[in-house]
Amino acid sequence: MSRKAAMGGARQPVGGATTTTTTTSTISTEDMCPVCKTIRYLNKDMEFLINPECYHSMCSNCVNRLFNDGPNQCPYAGCNKTLRRKGFRSAFFGDLGVEREVDIRRRVAAVFNQGEDDFETTTDYNNYLQMVEDLTFDLVFGTDRKRQEAEATLQRWEAEHTAQIEQNRRQGREADEMARRRLRAEKDAARLRRIEAVREAEEEKRERALTREAELDSIAQAPEGQGSSRVQLKRRGLAAAAGVNSAAPVATAAATDVGKLSIRGLKEKKKAVVHEGPYDPFGGLDFTPSRYRLGPDLKHQRIEDLRATMRYNPGGFRFEDWTAQLMFEAFAGLGVFVEDEKEVGIGLEAGRVASIGAGIAAVGDRMELD
Amino acid sequence: MNENEKRKYIKGRKLGEGTYANVYLGQLRTDPAVLVAIKKMKVQREQDGIAYDAVRELKFLQELHHPNIVELLSVFNSKDQNLNLVLEYLPLGDLESLIRDTDRVRYGAADIKAWMGMLTRAVWFCHDNFVLHRDIKPNNLLIAADGEVKLADFGLARSFADPGVNMTHMVITRWYRPPELLFGCRSYSGAVDVWSVGLVFAELIIRTPFLPGNSEVDQINRICQAIGTPTEDNWPGVSSLRSYAVPAEVYPVPDKKAWMDRFGGVGAEGVDLLCKTLVLDPNKRITAREMLEHRWWRTDPKPTRKEDLPRSKDDGAKKMGADLGRRPGAVEDENRGSKVARRLDFGAK
Ligand SMILES: Nc1ncnc2c1ncn2[C@@H]1O[C@H](COP(=O)(O)OP(=O)(O)OP(=O)(O)O)[C@@H](O)[C@H]1O
Ligand SMILES: [Zn+2]
Ligand SMILES: [Zn+2]
Repeated sequence: MSRKAAMGGARQPVGGATTTTTTTSTISTEDMCPVCKTIRYLNKDMEFLINPECYHSMCSNCVNRLFNDGPNQCPYAGCNKTLRRKGFRSAFFGDLGVEREVDIRRRVAAVFNQGEDDFETTTDYNNYLQMVEDLTFDLVFGTDRKRQEAEATLQRWEAEHTAQIEQNRRQGREADEMARRRLRAEKDAARLRRIEAVREAEEEKRERALTREAELDSIAQAPEGQGSSRVQLKRRGLAAAAGVNSAAPVATAAATDVGKLSIRGLKEKKKAVVHEGPYDPFGGLDFTPSRYRLGPDLKHQRIEDLRATMRYNPGGFRFEDWTAQLMFEAFAGLGVFVEDEKEVGIGLEAGRVASIGAGIAAVGDRMELD
Repeated sequence: MNENEKRKYIKGRKLGEGTYANVYLGQLRTDPAVLVAIKKMKVQREQDGIAYDAVRELKFLQELHHPNIVELLSVFNSKDQNLNLVLEYLPLGDLESLIRDTDRVRYGAADIKAWMGMLTRAVWFCHDNFVLHRDIKPNNLLIAADGEVKLADFGLARSFADPGVNMTHMVITRWYRPPELLFGCRSYSGAVDVWSVGLVFAELIIRTPFLPGNSEVDQINRICQAIGTPTEDNWPGVSSLRSYAVPAEVYPVPDKKAWMDRFGGVGAEGVDLLCKTLVLDPNKRITAREMLEHRWWRTDPKPTRKEDLPRSKDDGAKKMGADLGRRPGAVEDENRGSKVARRLDFGAK
């Protein structure tokens, strides 16, 4: 926006009522310096200057004479502003009232610099603009009291505003620091989780060793039948065979199913079919056990005992998960043929199995996780 | 054997760094067109459990083969006795960077359904093979060249426990951690992973973490406020869990409408599935298998084909610190006030 346009804008809301101000004298365009009474046509180079403290106009000679040695009082009778040399400039507008208004508007705009984005609604924004306009009007044309009030509001806002800027800057830095700290904390927590998982594994290993001892003890002490049933349970699944109907003959699976190495055995997996039919959430896989079917009367004393003690499970442990796992593992070995595995491996070849073995060897006995 | 395996690959530039591993791009020596990711475990110090981490990942990845689980191709030891896992190369970043890039990545209900289908299948497959993942979150879901989402990072996985066996409750990144673990429970099930899946689901919809607690206590508070306070009424036995503690004010479990208001973008059936994954009592929480049997998958819209899914605009180069967002102090100066209707501008600058 050019200054010409700005002036037009400036005048609009006030209707050119420049004479009402107390501090502005309307300069008659007479070319006489009101201070030294020199007349322009006697000195063609004479230039008039104003100082935005009071907008009292005087010639450059007077300015030099009065203010070159330092701050001094305005020579206008009744004006007690202290002025400095460097505050003087030539007026842009012929009408010093306009000059002053423009200066005030510029200053107000620098302080009240909110944009529409800063407001919730356009109405809020318009109200804000109205408030700024009223304040500007008071500063330009208000009575002394109005002007002082407006000046105070402006200064308070300015102070708050700089505080806001400063606060924003600080907040930015704090947010950075917090993000950094959070990242560090997250890293630590992740590390802790992994260490904790290791502890878990070790504890379990120890517990298992203990139970094994206890089992052995109990075999030593118990009457024959009972003791051995416990050992069987520890070997998982085998004991549960009562109540299971061994279903489909098993030789079919392993050779056709590429992509599974059974260390503990993997469930039957049918290759996903490429299809443009209806969406299959299961992706074409089906895990219904094909090697065995669970009879409805599956019962094992030890399992039933455990089930009784485990009825209360607020943590969500699922007993059926465990029995399913027992059954699965009991039958897992049945579908695996060593010869097939050598060929098929995990989809690569035997070398890979060996290299995985080598990897495990390198980490030594820490391998034992379950 | 190890040497052969190692020589099969040429190690290239670094792809990323985790807590326990550096990941490099690799090529097959015999066919440089075949790209792999080589995950080199950092120096192994026993007490840190780094070796365990590697071994867990190795152990489970070699057993789990599924289109939605990152594929382990090979393993070898490098000179310095570090374990190297050769994984399939997943060049399209992770789900987190897609969720976060709200400026450039647009997606809708059909896309969310496709991603959720892939994630749920991966979790179902783990659980049906008696494996708990225990660290499901958007940045552990990597994306293959064809758009397939793959569950990765099995460094915290374990097999299902026997009854009465204590497991650690210090698993799963906080924001995705279920209430039973926050309450210190040590005998849990696949329901812990399902909760994480539910939070990934919520995050896909609202594109910001749903429950970003900044401490464990805060995490519990957020769960209470958003999903309801766990009480003996809605979760029998909960007060007996080791570190059960909830805020004094008891928040009700929100009704369907409240859920619809926030997550309605995936439709009523989608919201129904979401609610079922975020049930407080793990015994009542839906299982991964039941999730796949839910009606949502069969209602419109049909899940997007993986080839057509939105992709990261980062072109492989991971945007650093994108999640920090714009600093609050940063002001946009450009165009400021250009839309202003009534303000008069006097060139104050
Ligand atoms: N198969 C892959 N293909 C491409 N990039 C990968 C692959 N695996 C990992 N990356 C990249 O390497 C980074 C680190 O890998 P990863 O998260 O597995 O390591 P980690 O030590 O287990 O990590 P965390 O600190 O999350 O536990 C990932 O963020 C990802 O950018
Ligand atoms: Zn003069
Ligand atoms: Zn004066």
